[in-house]
Amino acid sequence: MLLYQLKIALTSLRRNPVITSLLIGGIALGICVSTTFIALRHVFEKDPLPGKSNTLFYVRLDNWDPQRAYVAEDPKSLPTMVTYRDMRELMKSNIPTRQTGTFRSRFFVHPDPKIGRPFAEDVRLVFSDFFTMFNVPFQYGGGWDKAADAKPEPVIVIDQNTNQKLFGGANSVGRTVRLEDRNYKVVGVLAPWNPPLRFYDPTQGLGPKVEPIYMPFNFTPILEIQTYGNSDGWKGNDGNGFQAFLNSDTCWLEYWVELPTPEKQQAFREYVNNYVIDQKKHGRFGRPLHTEVTSMPELTKELGVVPPQIRSLAIVSVLFLIVCSLNLIGLLLGKFIARIPEISVRRALGASRLQVFWQHIVECEVVGIAGGLIGLGISVGLLKMVAKVIPNGDVVHLDAEMIAVSIFLSLVAGLLAGIYPAWRVCSIPPAMQLKVQ
Amino acid sequence: MLEMTHIKKIYRTISIETHALEDLSLSVKAGEFVSVTGPSGSGKTTFLNVAGLLDTFDSGSYILDGKDVSRLSDREMSQIRNRTIGFVFQSFNLIPDLNVFDNVDVPLRYRGLPATERKARIENALSMVGLSARVRHLPSQLSGGQQQRVAIARVLAGDPKLILADEPTGNLDSAMSREIMDLLGKINDNGTTIVMVTHNAECSERAHRQLHVFDGRIADVDRPRVVLGSPVATPGLTATLN
Repeated sequence: MLLYQLKIALTSLRRNPVITSLLIGGIALGICVSTTFIALRHVFEKDPLPGKSNTLFYVRLDNWDPQRAYVAEDPKSLPTMVTYRDMRELMKSNIPTRQTGTFRSRFFVHPDPKIGRPFAEDVRLVFSDFFTMFNVPFQYGGGWDKAADAKPEPVIVIDQNTNQKLFGGANSVGRTVRLEDRNYKVVGVLAPWNPPLRFYDPTQGLGPKVEPIYMPFNFTPILEIQTYGNSDGWKGNDGNGFQAFLNSDTCWLEYWVELPTPEKQQAFREYVNNYVIDQKKHGRFGRPLHTEVTSMPELTKELGVVPPQIRSLAIVSVLFLIVCSLNLIGLLLGKFIARIPEISVRRALGASRLQVFWQHIVECEVVGIAGGLIGLGISVGLLKMVAKVIPNGDVVHLDAEMIAVSIFLSLVAGLLAGIYPAWRVCSIPPAMQLKVQ
Repeated sequence: MLEMTHIKKIYRTISIETHALEDLSLSVKAGEFVSVTGPSGSGKTTFLNVAGLLDTFDSGSYILDGKDVSRLSDREMSQIRNRTIGFVFQSFNLIPDLNVFDNVDVPLRYRGLPATERKARIENALSMVGLSARVRHLPSQLSGGQQQRVAIARVLAGDPKLILADEPTGNLDSAMSREIMDLLGKINDNGTTIVMVTHNAECSERAHRQLHVFDGRIADVDRPRVVLGSPVATPGLTATLN
């Protein structure tokens, strides 16, 4: 019967191409707008790092001024980063499966004079676990190992653009790059990597793209590498020089751990608390004990990394789709009422009220699906336009989940538009129209 | 086959009550060919609509093919219309977008028959009405007589026990009318009960029995129960202003 109803639906839609176009166009417009903004929200709010988000945890400690909270109005606030000395101590734990501290700096890259002049580039200082923890993709080679971390070895990982600039895009593993006054060996070249958020640096939100160069963190004290990211401190350093800075209570590092099981998560939280309690005995951590070991999805939500405007736009766009659907009710009612003579004949020949109802609902869903597919096509173009005006916009795209949501919304839209007209016409007694055609 | 007893049907609007059928009683045996005549507004079409379960009635009882159809659900009534009753209308009531084959196919689809059986029935029915060569034609490409034959083929394909015909020759010339009446006669000869509403005296006389509807009641022309002009006669179609 469904195939027959589809046949009747298609015959009916072909009968009035103008009305059919208006119906499909109305749904397409609603689907296009709603899909665009829901996709935007979806990309930024869904699992930022599929398969990993719920095992990666960000560590924060409240080492702030005992006299006031980190955010004065919020007594429960705590600094968004950790100090160098705290990170070092906490990294001695073997509870996490992997861990990394990280920060952003800036170096001058000195290419071969034949290629071009020196240029400044962002560099991220990381431990070897960073690449596995954040699923960093490689085109050539890979990250360095723990031995290279410890020494530290003068190795770097570069991105595709840098590789293109310095080496013409060839496999540059083993080649040398001069940063400032040192040579570093390339051990890995990244594949294209454009995560929706620079999630390992939650303080930046929808910030610039990922850094093009990565080097071992342990060069920090050796080369006295300054941070070019955020730093927060409530008191001055005890002493002068870079070492004093490293020993201070200034927070400037992001510290991530991988805790794949609830037992490890619990154990590490206790470890961090015990560390702070111990540090209190040495006169640090004057505020009440407050530590956070927060999963990646919770952190992005807590810090409001995704702008609330994107969420609001998604809601408004769904309302727009509902309005589009409701506006089609009048059109469908007129179309269906014009077919009452045919409906009466079908009823006389044995169609029940329910069969007539479903026949019209099928027709509405055909309109919904057609409108949905066209709307999806338009939303691809619309997303490209939106992507140009937001940071990291090129990660915005329609995935399988979003396409399924759009198809579902188009079915709902078709049903919303058609349920009342279908019910009206199937309720009319068949005898009324049978003599008149 | 068809037993109606004291059927009453009132159409109500906000200000007017129209008694379309007033104490209508009728009995039609299986295999009978009955014609129903009457002046305009006497209730013939309403009677046919109630008989064909296209409309409900307000009081009385109606036994169709041994089954009390007074309190059936819409689904049950639809099934009876599909399997037991066939309709032939004055204006043919073919679906204009469907060709001859698909028009005859409509009631069979609602019966849920498999494609092979439907095809066999349709081809057989069209051959009985002499339209096998017009299978792919649209109704607009057929004459009035041909369209009515398609409508009859649509009925035959379902093999109903009862055919209700509402002015089947109303839109046809005399030659075509005779053709259609011959066809209906043959169908009746095969055992199908036919109740036909008509204004045409010649068509009416083809029936075994003639009934006359007047003011929502039935009188047999052959065996009159109500005599016009007598105190027993009804005073005319009742329209009560509320």
